[in-house]
Amino acid sequence: MKRAAVAVFSLVVMLVATTVQADPYGTAGCGLGSMIFGDEKGIVQIFAATTNGSSGTQTFGITTGTSNCADSGGGTDSAKAFIETNREAFSKDVARGQGETITNLSALAGCADPRAVGSTLQSSFEAIFPQGDSADTEVSRAVIDTLKAHPELACGLLG
Amino acid sequence: MSGYMWPVRLTLLAAVWLTAVPAHAHGPGLAGPDPSASYTNRLIERAQRLGLHEAGQWQRLLHYRRSKYSAGVESENDGAAFFLSRRGKRDPRAELAATLRAFFSPLTKAQRRANAERGKGVPHPICRFPARFAWLSQQLGFDAARLPVTGCPGFVDFLREVDPGGVTLVFSSYYLNNPASAFGHTLLRFRKASAMVAGDRRDLLDYAVDFSADVDTGNALLYAIKGLFGMFPGTVKRMPFYYKVREYGDYETRDIWEYELNLTPRQVFMLLAHIWEVGRTFFRYFYIDENCSYRILMFLEAANPELDLVEHLGEAVLPADTVKAVMRNPGLVKAIHYRPSLRTQFKHAIAGMDDDDLDHVELLAEDAGHPLPATWSDRHRSQVLDAAADLFDVRNVKDLIKKRDGQAAEHKRELLRRRAALGLKSPPPDVPAPVEERPDGGHGSKRAGLGGGGREGLRGFGTLDFRLAMHDLADPSTGYPELAQLEFLPTRLRVWPSSNRIQLTLDDFAVVRIVSLTSIDRFDQSISWKVETGVRTFERMGCDRCLAGYGRGGGGLARAFMGRALVLFATLDLSLQAGPDLTGVADSPLRAGAGPFLGARLRLDPNLVVLLVGEWLWYPKQPDESQWGAEATLRWSFARDLAVSVEAAARPFGLDAELMLLSYF
Repeated sequence: MKRAAVAVFSLVVMLVATTVQADPYGTAGCGLGSMIFGDEKGIVQIFAATTNGSSGTQTFGITTGTSNCADSGGGTDSAKAFIETNREAFSKDVARGQGETITNLSALAGCADPRAVGSTLQSSFEAIFPQGDSADTEVSRAVIDTLKAHPELACGLLG
Repeated sequence: MSGYMWPVRLTLLAAVWLTAVPAHAHGPGLAGPDPSASYTNRLIERAQRLGLHEAGQWQRLLHYRRSKYSAGVESENDGAAFFLSRRGKRDPRAELAATLRAFFSPLTKAQRRANAERGKGVPHPICRFPARFAWLSQQLGFDAARLPVTGCPGFVDFLREVDPGGVTLVFSSYYLNNPASAFGHTLLRFRKASAMVAGDRRDLLDYAVDFSADVDTGNALLYAIKGLFGMFPGTVKRMPFYYKVREYGDYETRDIWEYELNLTPRQVFMLLAHIWEVGRTFFRYFYIDENCSYRILMFLEAANPELDLVEHLGEAVLPADTVKAVMRNPGLVKAIHYRPSLRTQFKHAIAGMDDDDLDHVELLAEDAGHPLPATWSDRHRSQVLDAAADLFDVRNVKDLIKKRDGQAAEHKRELLRRRAALGLKSPPPDVPAPVEERPDGGHGSKRAGLGGGGREGLRGFGTLDFRLAMHDLADPSTGYPELAQLEFLPTRLRVWPSSNRIQLTLDDFAVVRIVSLTSIDRFDQSISWKVETGVRTFERMGCDRCLAGYGRGGGGLARAFMGRALVLFATLDLSLQAGPDLTGVADSPLRAGAGPFLGARLRLDPNLVVLLVGEWLWYPKQPDESQWGAEATLRWSFARDLAVSVEAAARPFGLDAELMLLSYF
């Protein structure tokens, strides 16, 4: 009975919920759009969120090395994945010269001083984000190149 | 890499794992001595004599619960690979014996290959079930020389990656503006030992472990049905925590609360080892009870037999119940952290600004090229540009993430380019945690009440109240969003005593009732809305006194004052009723009306709330064409989870007043 009642509830929520357009996200890389919201369609996405279902996260298994995008162990690949997924927050932190994403990226890249990383990235803003529509993978490559181009940052995990 | 991380790693790995699988068995990855059947049999005998299969830890590691359909127990795990005995799902004793046998069975070729390929394929049972192994080894004192494996490279890689130093229970808040996020969500975050030792906050790089349904349909109806009846497999997933921060904190703008648990290294290890065990199997996922929140608590219990978490839960499990259950174990939570959502960060950023600054923030969000006054300092410009970027994100986050090539991306990039060109650093945001919203402080999610009252000039009645979940605008506000109401199955019955019999009527039953108020300000013009549907006893509504189904929805505006202590709201409602005894449109049993609804909520104290609402509805060309009503509620929570409620309702046919005692649980 309880479950039947919930079925009715679900229908009601369905009626009031607005449809979210899920445009296919074509860019390669570990962007948030493709990794989490990629395959879900409007209404089901809302349901998925209500009830903690997921259809875009099959890439995240429990075992080792399930996805390059799920690696936070340190080094170039995990730094790139981090930049691509965190792009929206990261771009603001770069503009501000500091922030949580810069501290975390510094740890991934093995850089000595997150403050120095923040200053360097801030002054390289236009090189990292040449355009609003730059692909995630272009942005992450530009960040890695910038960090490597500054040996004084000593980002030792970038190889 | 910091050299400090090794001591912690070694403590954890060495103490619990490396010593459990001793290195002195011969040869790397080769079979040990032939398993002597008599040794295994002796172990099984001892285990049975000790009653290990009835021990709490065994029962929990295997997820045995009293069976709903037969005598005995049944495991909630639904993957065949989780059991080593064919009878394992229902027979803890057979499963324990089969586990011991499997642990001492020689390594097969396939298992050796799985070891060599580190994590691919199906490894030896010792490596598939490290938590069972660690516990049984501790209970029975395995003879190390007889173990068939010398190590589990796949599992050890997994341990190294996660690098577990501590565990945090993460709760992402309710957010009614997205009906989706209404009830919240819980997951686990494993804090990296290396970061803990270095004293760094690198939370984004920690691994989150999430339990969720694997959805295989795009059809919403099918989705609902399959979810309710457990037709989706639920599996655990592991991902860097930053995915969850971006998804919940930014994309859905929900605040996140984190409860750092006080676990020993052994308990942390057992939890992660257990997650590894269930990682390749599945549990059928039921939205209502066996859901993400329930399963996360079960994992915690499996690792810590002395914890009682699930016992504190009722049949339906809401994410907020999980944090309350954790808080009921004294000493289990050692710290609580708060991570503000994008919206909260923006509100904090503009908190100290004057009107002129706010004007510029708004103009920048409209036009990225909007010039700032030449007299402003760079610091001043940076503050306004930072706030404008936050506002732009709040308004456009979905477009930004999904449409990289859109106008929004270009606009944001230009704002940030101007900000970066200023060069100075913004101070790190320091948003104070809104302690009054902390979910563990909220009243119980279910409610039951008892009371009585009378109708002006008529007899008295008794009232019974029940609600499965969760909160209404008059309930004590601590731990819940101030401007939201989400009720699931609220029910009120009235008992009418008279000289010769007692009559029971259904006053009101709603399947769901949602009110989502958003205070209008210059940056947020979201509408407020409400929706409800159910069955109610109607009077003078095209019938004298009859039961009819109803649906009602409305949209409008709300405005909060005095730090949200006072909220005024107005909506335009559409109301539908249908019932066999109703007379409505063209003499049909269907009625439709519309009209304004006004409300005021005054919070005198988190535990003392006054709610006033009034409505007028017009049912054109139907009997009882014009309907009005006014209701007043005063609710005082005089003790935790207890409240008295004084409620009065005025309608054309008279005045009802009642007094209720409400209990939250």
